[in-house]
Amino acid sequence: MVSDDETLLLRRVAGKDRRAFEALYHLYYRRLFAYLFKLTRRVDVVEEVLNDVMLAIWSGAAGFDGRSRPSTWIFGIAYHKALKALARRPAPAQEIDRGEESGPPEAVDADEPESLLARRELAGTLGRALHALSAEHRAVVELTYFYGRSYQEIAEIVGCPVNTVKTRMFHARRRLRELLPGLGVTSYAG
Amino acid sequence: MREPRDRGERTHSRIWELLPWYVNGTLPPAERSAVEEHIAVCPRCQEEERSCRALEAGVHGAEEVAPSPHPVRLARLLARIDDFEKGDAAKPSRWRRALAAAGRPLRALAANPGRGMAVAQLAVLLLIAGLVGWQQWRARQPEPAYRTLSSPEKALAAGGPRIRVLFAEEATEREIRELLLGVRGEIVAGPSPFGVYTVEVPRAGDPLATVLTHLRAQKRVRLAEPAR
Repeated sequence: MVSDDETLLLRRVAGKDRRAFEALYHLYYRRLFAYLFKLTRRVDVVEEVLNDVMLAIWSGAAGFDGRSRPSTWIFGIAYHKALKALARRPAPAQEIDRGEESGPPEAVDADEPESLLARRELAGTLGRALHALSAEHRAVVELTYFYGRSYQEIAEIVGCPVNTVKTRMFHARRRLRELLPGLGVTSYAG
Repeated sequence: MREPRDRGERTHSRIWELLPWYVNGTLPPAERSAVEEHIAVCPRCQEEERSCRALEAGVHGAEEVAPSPHPVRLARLLARIDDFEKGDAAKPSRWRRALAAAGRPLRALAANPGRGMAVAQLAVLLLIAGLVGWQQWRARQPEPAYRTLSSPEKALAAGGPRIRVLFAEEATEREIRELLLGVRGEIVAGPSPFGVYTVEVPRAGDPLATVLTHLRAQKRVRLAEPAR
């Protein structure tokens, strides 16, 4: 089991085993980067927070009690560090304007099937809509749909009661419905 | 008879709230059955279920773009861990830097409290001078609010170092994006007829030599050299 291997790594990190820590760093780097980017949508914040998260893992691994999945514990640390960093560093106006358009120009691949193109287009529109949500609401949406987490796990990650998770999701759904009329049934029912 | 309708409405709200987790398949069995039972007779929840599924498909369709681990950043992190183990990294690093800078006068203060007052006053003066200088420096910086997306001056205004990069022919668009993300680079020109891109990296980021070493170590990079 992946989760068991990770638990073992965390235990070794708790025992101040540096090689285990480096292995965990390599195992989690891309996952944490992508997760932190989903939460913050700010590359400049991601790198700083990622190191803070890894340092918190190093210093706090002994506090991992093994009752939840290691990734749930790590995602929880990352969530709180990311929110703190966002509060410390409000988004520069430029970043907001750029939204999803940041990054290199999209290369157009002539062989790309139409369905894939349509999916990328939806992902672009959806990306902008998610960007418009608060980080707290976006986290609940991403944790539910991208990471497939239960509401109990999300409550554990974000450190709030289950009912708060449901309320945040309720507001996020309402806001996304306003921003994405295309997600409505009419266009999808055919 | 208002009561049964209210009860029905309450059930509806409760089920409606659970739909995202019904859709992602994580509801406990009892709640899952309750949702299924209700959905079968509730057109509003049927509609919402479809909308949740569309949202799930959309969120899932978004690629997970992330760069590979960066050896230099790992080395820096390990250095922070060394500091932490020595017991002084509990405070954020900028405090540590500030403390290190203030260390000498503070030690002098401890050794000689009489002279300490003068040292402390000097430190305050230096701090004020620093703040004033910083504000003046800030005031001279170009105002970011005036920059626009399409303006060609944008890159000049940002003014980070530039690198000429030739990616391997087989590099996919996603790999290129991940490589750029790894160095926080932005394509400002190219491709040239030879396929060379000009990439700008942030001035406040890693030293240029580090960025170049990192890029050159990537198997999807054929060439990376400073521009100009």
